[in-house]
Amino acid sequence: MNMNQQKPITLLICALGGEGGGVLTEWLVDIARASGYAAQSTSIPGVAQRTGATTYYLEVFPVPLADLGGKRPVFSLNPVPGALDGLISSELLETARQVGNGMASPQRTLVISSSSRTLTTAERMVPGDGRTDPAPLLQAIGAQSRATQVFDMGEMAKNCGTVVSAVMLGAIAGSGLLPFSRQAYEDAIRHGGRGAEASLRGFDRAFAQVNIQQAQTALVSRLLSEQELPASIIQGLEADLSHIFPAPVHEMLGLGHARMLEYQGPDYADLYVERLQQVLRAEQEADPAAAQGYATTREMARWLALWMAFDDIVRVADLKSSASRWQRVSGEVKAGADDLLQVYDHFKPGAPEFAALLPVKLAAHVTRWDRQRVARGKAPWALPLKIGTHSVFGMLSLRLLASLKWLRVRGSRFATEQSLIEQWLSGVVRGTQTHWQLGHEIALCGRLIKGYGSTNERGKDNLMHVLQHLATGATFASNDLRAAAIAQAREAALADEAGKALDQTLEQHGAPARPVKAQPIRWMENPHRKPRAARAS
Amino acid sequence: MEVSFSKEIESLRLKSGETFHGEGILAITKALLQSGVAYVGGYQGAPVSHLLDVMVQAKPYMDELGVHVEACSNEASAAAMLGASIHYPLRGAVTWKSIVGTNVAADALSNLSSPGVLGGALIVVGEDYGEGASVIQERTHAYALKSTMCLLDPRPDLGKMVEMVEHGFRLSETSNMPAILELRIRACHVRGSFECKDNQPPAISKRQLMEEPAAFDYAKLAHPPVTFRHEKLKTEERIPAARRYIVEQQLNELMDGPRKDLGIIVQGGIYNSLIRALQQFGLCDAFGQSEIPLLVLNVTYPLVPEQVAGFALGKRAVLVVEEGQPEYIEQEIATFLRRRDINTPLHGKDMLPMGGEYSVEVVAAGLAAFVARYAADVDTNSATGWLQGNAERRNAVGTQIAAQLNQPLPVRPPGFCIGCPERPVFSALKLAQQDVGPVHIAADIGCHAFGTFAPFSFGHSILGYGMSLASRAGVSPMMARRTLSIMGDGGFWHNGLLTGVQSALFNGDDAVLLIFKNGYTSATGTQDIISTPSDDAKFNASDKLQSLTATNTTIEKTLTGLGIQWLRTVHTYEVEEMRQTLNEAFTTDFNGLKVIIAEGECQLERQRRIKPWLAGLLKNGKRVVRVKYGVDEDICNGDHACIRLSGCPTLTLKDNPDPLKVDPVATVIDGCVGCGLCGANAHAATLCPSFYRAEVIQNPNWHERLLGSVRGALVRAMQTT
Repeated sequence: MNMNQQKPITLLICALGGEGGGVLTEWLVDIARASGYAAQSTSIPGVAQRTGATTYYLEVFPVPLADLGGKRPVFSLNPVPGALDGLISSELLETARQVGNGMASPQRTLVISSSSRTLTTAERMVPGDGRTDPAPLLQAIGAQSRATQVFDMGEMAKNCGTVVSAVMLGAIAGSGLLPFSRQAYEDAIRHGGRGAEASLRGFDRAFAQVNIQQAQTALVSRLLSEQELPASIIQGLEADLSHIFPAPVHEMLGLGHARMLEYQGPDYADLYVERLQQVLRAEQEADPAAAQGYATTREMARWLALWMAFDDIVRVADLKSSASRWQRVSGEVKAGADDLLQVYDHFKPGAPEFAALLPVKLAAHVTRWDRQRVARGKAPWALPLKIGTHSVFGMLSLRLLASLKWLRVRGSRFATEQSLIEQWLSGVVRGTQTHWQLGHEIALCGRLIKGYGSTNERGKDNLMHVLQHLATGATFASNDLRAAAIAQAREAALADEAGKALDQTLEQHGAPARPVKAQPIRWMENPHRKPRAARAS
Repeated sequence: MEVSFSKEIESLRLKSGETFHGEGILAITKALLQSGVAYVGGYQGAPVSHLLDVMVQAKPYMDELGVHVEACSNEASAAAMLGASIHYPLRGAVTWKSIVGTNVAADALSNLSSPGVLGGALIVVGEDYGEGASVIQERTHAYALKSTMCLLDPRPDLGKMVEMVEHGFRLSETSNMPAILELRIRACHVRGSFECKDNQPPAISKRQLMEEPAAFDYAKLAHPPVTFRHEKLKTEERIPAARRYIVEQQLNELMDGPRKDLGIIVQGGIYNSLIRALQQFGLCDAFGQSEIPLLVLNVTYPLVPEQVAGFALGKRAVLVVEEGQPEYIEQEIATFLRRRDINTPLHGKDMLPMGGEYSVEVVAAGLAAFVARYAADVDTNSATGWLQGNAERRNAVGTQIAAQLNQPLPVRPPGFCIGCPERPVFSALKLAQQDVGPVHIAADIGCHAFGTFAPFSFGHSILGYGMSLASRAGVSPMMARRTLSIMGDGGFWHNGLLTGVQSALFNGDDAVLLIFKNGYTSATGTQDIISTPSDDAKFNASDKLQSLTATNTTIEKTLTGLGIQWLRTVHTYEVEEMRQTLNEAFTTDFNGLKVIIAEGECQLERQRRIKPWLAGLLKNGKRVVRVKYGVDEDICNGDHACIRLSGCPTLTLKDNPDPLKVDPVATVIDGCVGCGLCGANAHAATLCPSFYRAEVIQNPNWHERLLGSVRGALVRAMQTT
């Protein structure tokens, strides 16, 4: 090729604020200079430095400066869509974003991306599971690049005790995209001084990783075709249970049954089995050939267990005071063998939490007292506690609370929960008898029940509302449509906290929106009105 | 300050014959010293913060040269500083972010331009336009036109940028006009090299003082009747002088090419984009040799009519590549041609988009229309195929993602840092609004503007830096509930004290102002301000983990002195106290201005102080407590209410380890600085009981160790398996 037609090598680097993209780019420019090549980089850090996404752009002229006869190439300051030789990114969603911007081209671009995700706020704040499915992202990246190399850069950096920028440099070097020797890259890292050894480890691992192309292609296809999570081991299921229930139910049943034993005891586990049998019978009636593989009973085994083992202070105290928990925390905070670990747990039980353990009558007193308090404009009563789980007193308190299982079944909350569970259960049974799909969707609504306090209350209200107004009530042309409406309402209820989406869905299907809850508001008076008020009086 | 510039300061000392390697804005800084600048000032803001930061950090070297460096309180004070060049042969340079900073500086710029300058006055503005910009998309060009200042827009090549700084001073002195040098974001951050010259210590300087002030000269005031004379001087003397200099020194570059019947006039700053676009059509080689002749305007105001007309004369068509709107340059060129009855067809915004950044792709699309019309012999297949391919790929990915995800890709705007002291206040505000109902929130410029993003989404308006309190003046009298204005300490000192507080006090307004006192102008790179904790306070603090903003009470004293009667200071991490204070401010019977000072030091600055301190302690085997928060995965309810109340980057999600459950659980990942918000929120909002605070004591004392082992044995005995 004529030298004048020679094009610069172009590389777009995508990183998140604080990941060292600036240092990486500086390294690359320094390496180019040390290797005798003309290069230029630009960036748009701006406020993206504060955890947002940002990009850096590098151009290198592939002919050594010495051979240019004093001429200087003119570089572009902007990355040119469709004219990139390389695109390297530390985060999968950001890779997909740049691919969506048209940056990569199937004719020209090598895309090296981390498979790791740094979840965005929008994904994290969803009450259910708002995480973006990586498969479509990987598919887009694969389709829009000449070649793709995907691996977990975050994990690699962590294992090497370095930062992701060192791994990215290794990947760039390993790709052979730029005309520099490995030595030149390593020298740049060494000049960096602090942390150079760890950086070199990360560099080396990524260099090797990117060189093994076959393994990469295999990884991408595996990630793309990744099915369900690997089935977990079925816990020892009691023989008689495995006779009563068909095999597809066994795994969930085993987990659920064990949860009941741990939560309350054998009697409660029997109640669980008895309830689940109702569902099984209904499903066998609705689907005698088991064409659906007992999906309703299997899902019900899950959701029934979770609801029956509702979270209360007894269970929380039990979980927080176990030895395995202490080990988990110790590992999470990376406490060394010679370090002392102190763990403080944040609790804030309110009147409902205490009322829950009291008999119905007594509980009503407590609840009424608290409600009157709120009506007077005060905050609901609650006791903020910071309990040192590492201390003798703290552990003693927790064990004392955890020992109150006997009180739980006598408490008001237990009674309420059982009555609601029964309502839902009969909804599932009746629904299944009417139409398999209908029963299945109602069973899946068990997902709405979770957590503590107001979250739990909200979930129960939503479920009961759906049960009353969609499962029965409201008219539908067919049971399939009714089932679909329930599925839609369930998804909507998990979409936002305020329940706007749920109300919309309800109204769309001819059901009433949820009633507005009475909430005390502290009024404040605009002083500009005061003179008028004074005049009036 | 966020970054240490010790390496950069070394490159400021480079001598003649040595080569500078580094970023554009640092090259400009070096160029100022090579030009013999006597004083430098400015106000921080992307993308020119580094200029001032480096100068401030290089104070000892500046003193050596006799150069005065001033970190101004806002752009108006920076612009006014240039007044030194009116009477005295002092070269001065100031810098700020445009367009916003130029707006603030406008008054002083008018009054500076009217009498004109004797010493060269150069204003380096970061043109925050296009991709990644954080301000309104307006052009600085308008200010150059209305105040009659030279406007330099150099080719983004380090050597050319440096040369234009040096010319800028001489141009200013020759024409008596102040000169603006505009640099786009990417030009500020471009990495390249240039051959240095020796720095010039200024003839008059802090080391070479002037004995006497200038004699009184009414003509140097911006005051009638001399302003009428100034008006004439601008057009009769100054602009002609500038034009002569521009032509003589060949500041604009004429780059000839074989297709002499065509021509392109381009702003210097867009030159590289144009070259790459021409290359797509095979009309230019890798070294910038274009087939179509180019006139590169390194000075975009004033234009030289003869130069432009001469370039256009006899051509079949000329294309003007000018970024932003309105098309001042194209309009002026049209006037030049029309007056000379030159009928060369002129194109610009008819082929290129009116607004938006002129990236390579955008310029190429405009060029495609120009080439198709005037150079039919050029094979455009490859270029148009490339443009079409881009569009098709975007479309294909968009369709695929939409079909498979049922929604566009989630956005990732910038946000509060890990452990940011401002996040807890927004948590408290969310809770307070649950108590008193939603309120009108006048937002402001600064890190706290991240409160406008999820999970908070607070803020009804942003009217400018420090303008929040002023911007609610028309709202609060019309609103049943009280309004809230949010301001940072940066904004308070920049503008808010006068435009907001003074005005609200004078008018007896009923308003609530919340001031974030984090101690620095954090969003621009944590520059110091008058309420920054002093070096002594930092040095003397026994526990350096502590927020030190409480040690400087300049804001509180100022407000009290001004007559504020309702003033509360709340530490930001105390979510419940902040919630109650907000509720009180919203409901109290006191009808005047209520100020809440949310005091908590910028976490970036704290970490910068803490990290080396802790490293030193650990190295010497001293006791260190490390704090991290965590979530118990088997207790977390998967509802993520905690995330909706915090949004901290280290509070994220992972798969639920419980095979019965399906929703992901919250988890605290590495990077948590143990700020305490998770615990405070868990209490203030009655979140689920899954949060714990872990304190890891490294190198514990002997008695701690003893207590720990006794305790540990007892606690382990009680734990269940």
